[in-house]
Amino acid sequence: MKDFELLPHTADIKLRVYGASLEELFRHALQGMFQSISPQSEYCVEKQDRLVCQKLTRQHEVEVRSADQELLLVDFLSEALYLSDIHNEAYFDLDIHTLTHEHVKATVKGVPITGFEVVEIKAVTYNDLKVEYKDGIWQADVVFDI
Amino acid sequence: MEKKPITRNDLIKVEDFLYEIPTSFRGDMRVSARVFLSEEMLDAVLDDKSLEQLVNVTTLPGIKKHAFAMPDIHQGYGFPIGGLAATAIHEGGVISPGGIGYDINCGVRLLVTSLYASEITPYLENLATALYHQVPSGVGQGGKIDLSMGELDKILKHGAAHAVAMGYGNESDLEYCEERGCLRNADPSLISDRAKKRGLDQLGTLGSGNHFLEVQRVSEIFDEKVAQTFGLELDRIVVMIHCGSRGLGHQTCTDYVRLMMNKMSGWGIQLPDRELACAPFTSPEGQEYFMAMAAAANFAWANRHVIAHHVREAFKTVIGDSVVINTLYDVSHNIGKLERHTIDGAPMELLVHRKGATRAFGPGRKELPAKYHAVGQPVLIPGTMGTSSYVMVGASEGMEKAFGTSCHGAGRKLSRTKAKEMVRGSELRDLLESKGIIIRCDSNAGLAEEAPLAYKDVDNVVNVVHGAALAYKVACCKPLAVVKGG
Repeated sequence: MKDFELLPHTADIKLRVYGASLEELFRHALQGMFQSISPQSEYCVEKQDRLVCQKLTRQHEVEVRSADQELLLVDFLSEALYLSDIHNEAYFDLDIHTLTHEHVKATVKGVPITGFEVVEIKAVTYNDLKVEYKDGIWQADVVFDI
Repeated sequence: MEKKPITRNDLIKVEDFLYEIPTSFRGDMRVSARVFLSEEMLDAVLDDKSLEQLVNVTTLPGIKKHAFAMPDIHQGYGFPIGGLAATAIHEGGVISPGGIGYDINCGVRLLVTSLYASEITPYLENLATALYHQVPSGVGQGGKIDLSMGELDKILKHGAAHAVAMGYGNESDLEYCEERGCLRNADPSLISDRAKKRGLDQLGTLGSGNHFLEVQRVSEIFDEKVAQTFGLELDRIVVMIHCGSRGLGHQTCTDYVRLMMNKMSGWGIQLPDRELACAPFTSPEGQEYFMAMAAAANFAWANRHVIAHHVREAFKTVIGDSVVINTLYDVSHNIGKLERHTIDGAPMELLVHRKGATRAFGPGRKELPAKYHAVGQPVLIPGTMGTSSYVMVGASEGMEKAFGTSCHGAGRKLSRTKAKEMVRGSELRDLLESKGIIIRCDSNAGLAEEAPLAYKDVDNVVNVVHGAALAYKVACCKPLAVVKGG
């Protein structure tokens, strides 16, 4: 099973994310969001189109409540994007403390960055948003405005 | 409502350069959808979801006349890019943050210098380097100015005028900004602390993606009289700045889309895409967003104002004190404005959403500076790297046809992934430099994603706008130096 892949979109980034569990879906969505814009950090090296970081030295608590599961994923990613912008960091892993369809509490873990190789993400959108569980796999489509 | 695919047969030609999808196409349409295109552009537009998104816009409560799209239309989120929707505020019309965009008041400023092309050539390399250092992208590391919360609030309230008070730019610059660089209904207290935190170190920064700063040469004049009014002549050096409200604006839109999403069922509003989330304009939430949007728009005007100051500094350092640089105009292409337009012979107060579309008011509108009142407003259309940008003038006919609106650029046609597959950034850099265009951009991947082949031909787009009488061509400008973030 892939963790995430880019889908065609004329202007923005559309990501399809997979996970064996809802927790994994959130982890892969976080990784997909930051991997797709290639953060620049002295703590990471690029291997096979992915950034590999020696140690995730920065962490923050995130808690989000939303009306449903789809909104929760977007709102969670928006929170990580906000933290990334004010701290100049990128996040590649998380510890989940609580995760229901309407509530997530987690610690996101990342590294300090000096920029992004190509673009910054302006926002996580609700456009064409999908979160589904089928054939034992969680799958989500998310569009990022860049 | 089932979304059926749109085919060529669903588009009815209204007149040259104008096509319509009638309300019979889908049961939830309140008005028809109209798109300005040439025959040759039709197939490409049918390739992505942009027309489906335009049909979705027609379902907004209170929408008047038609949902419109400009010829640079392409797929966005919620609204298509190049989208326009006017809602009747006294008839339950809504305001939709997604219909204005995350980059609130993303726009273009054009500066006219006292220099001619032959005078700048020896300085161009050094000038490009100086501009690159003076105007940071601000991505991942912030800009040069650290604002206090108090100062940021003044910028949110007073826009570019407070940048002048801080020593950036002058009064004349304000005269030549849409709204004089300030929406007066702005309320900084409606911008969240998190949005403010994102903006504290981002004043005077370009951002990334398709944002840029270019030194250009006026390469062709189409209308001598209007060009003279705008201060343009052949071979004159101009500087184009394209950027927006940075993280502060992005967070403001995010905050209010989220707020409205949770309230829509209470207002009885159902829409085909969650990203179209909206509120009745006269509701407390609608009003709060409108005042917050105005504050974020003011930040964007101040941002372009400070960048223009840094441009002046760079010219001064490299060329000398004698260079005079004036603002020709500053336009917004992601914004919601309260405007009076005539519908079926009656004046009406409308909230006009322009999402990747530029106001293009014709002669005689009270909103225009005195100097442009008799000819119409300057409409600034950035092209792509290595191609042309255009200065156009708003047309009276466009007021009737599309609420006084024009395109905002060339419009993408290829995804970023596809662009990178088709062109290498290093080769593109060499190609542009072989044409004498100086590039200052760290990222080859960033260059490749913004390659001219990823965009529609700006000449075709502008010719549709001209042919449809939305705005008329005044001058064409070719890039000499490009500075990009990313």
